[in-house]
Amino acid sequence: MSEFRYIRAHSLDEAVALLSEPGVYSRVLAGGTDLVNQFRKGEAGCDRVVDVAHVPEMGGISGGQLIRVGAAVTHAEIAESALLQERAPILVRACRQIGSPQIRNIATIGGNVVNAAACADTLPVLVCLEAQAVVVGPGGVERVPVTDLVTGVYMTQLTRGSLIQAFEFEAPPAGSRMSFQRIGRRQAMAIARLSVAALGAVDDENRVSLLRVVPGASFARFRRATSVEDLLVGRAPTAQRIADAGREMTRLFLDESGGRWSAPYKERTIATLTERALHEVLSP
Amino acid sequence: MKIAFTLNGNPVEVEAPANITLLHLLREHLGLTGSKPGCEVGECGACSIILDGRVVNSCQLLVPQVDGREVITIEGIGDAGGGPSDLQLAFLEFGAVQCGYCTPGMVVAAEAFLARQPNPTREEIRVAISGNLCRCTGYQQIVDAIEATATRRQSQAEGRRP
Repeated sequence: MSEFRYIRAHSLDEAVALLSEPGVYSRVLAGGTDLVNQFRKGEAGCDRVVDVAHVPEMGGISGGQLIRVGAAVTHAEIAESALLQERAPILVRACRQIGSPQIRNIATIGGNVVNAAACADTLPVLVCLEAQAVVVGPGGVERVPVTDLVTGVYMTQLTRGSLIQAFEFEAPPAGSRMSFQRIGRRQAMAIARLSVAALGAVDDENRVSLLRVVPGASFARFRRATSVEDLLVGRAPTAQRIADAGREMTRLFLDESGGRWSAPYKERTIATLTERALHEVLSP
Repeated sequence: MKIAFTLNGNPVEVEAPANITLLHLLREHLGLTGSKPGCEVGECGACSIILDGRVVNSCQLLVPQVDGREVITIEGIGDAGGGPSDLQLAFLEFGAVQCGYCTPGMVVAAEAFLARQPNPTREEIRVAISGNLCRCTGYQQIVDAIEATATRRQSQAEGRRP
């Protein structure tokens, strides 16, 4: 493994100060399940790791109308949270399917976002919840929508010295439903090949009044599939319209990913996952 | 750097570089070879240990990450007299061990799980060991051994109640 020093931050201010110290290339260590593998393979190096797992301001799950999840919260803590089980069940469902118990017990939601893998399970869900990242750096605090924060595969707009303290999102409105559909090569310890997060609601006249659909492991960036949503919003969620929406998702997917070797499999699968998600959130 | 933690109930203090894993420290410097190196990328669970009550992979843990914390390895699991625990005996009874390489990790993962969920369903047991790969037995006997241990511990606990 490459050589580096280790330091544990005990407060958010201390973490920011350490990360922005001139002349020292520091990296943030949270759970380490991505970073330690990269160190061992020689894919990453640094002068120093700053362990933020015990920074109090980066822990905890709280909220009423505005829900806040600390960036150093583990996937296991999210899966066990009664608040999130009730208010944001898709985040719970996504975190329950990440890795294995061993991974979920130490890997964090902040790490999953910042690592920014195309298959990251929390990313389509956070974008679907319209979550904002609370980014703290030497210049102060700013809130960045997660959809903008991740700029590409393994890329974020975080600058040197800054880190994510927490994620915040409005609790989905009463009466809305959520779905997270995911497919991997097997159930445990397999990354998502494709996923779809959806949040929707139907009004008293059986018209779609709210819909957000975000595919995972599909596009270069994590964003809503607005042309899919437009086929349904304001209309009755009939089986025909949901099938059309699945086909539209396939079209978007092929547009973005091109005709790679897995396309014949994935073009059908992404449509099916989209239809399943839409049925779950819109069907009576 | 100096790192102090609790290992199987005893305080230990080591002088170690920051860039070695807990698995390496346990096996190469502390002589505890029960935790196994398998994939060494966090996929097989052969190196499972319990950190502050939760099962994690020691191959993905830098030694300084455990500073001030409590670590239990397979060497810390057993009966009071130093023999195998009831769970380990059940592994033998149900034929849950073939080559044995995954067994320490399986036992560690199962003990961490049973401490949190003493009355599990079979499906919950399967999820609990989903981070531990076994390429020999096919898991059924391992699930059987964990299930039987949970049932026996439950009936013992009930027997002790007044």
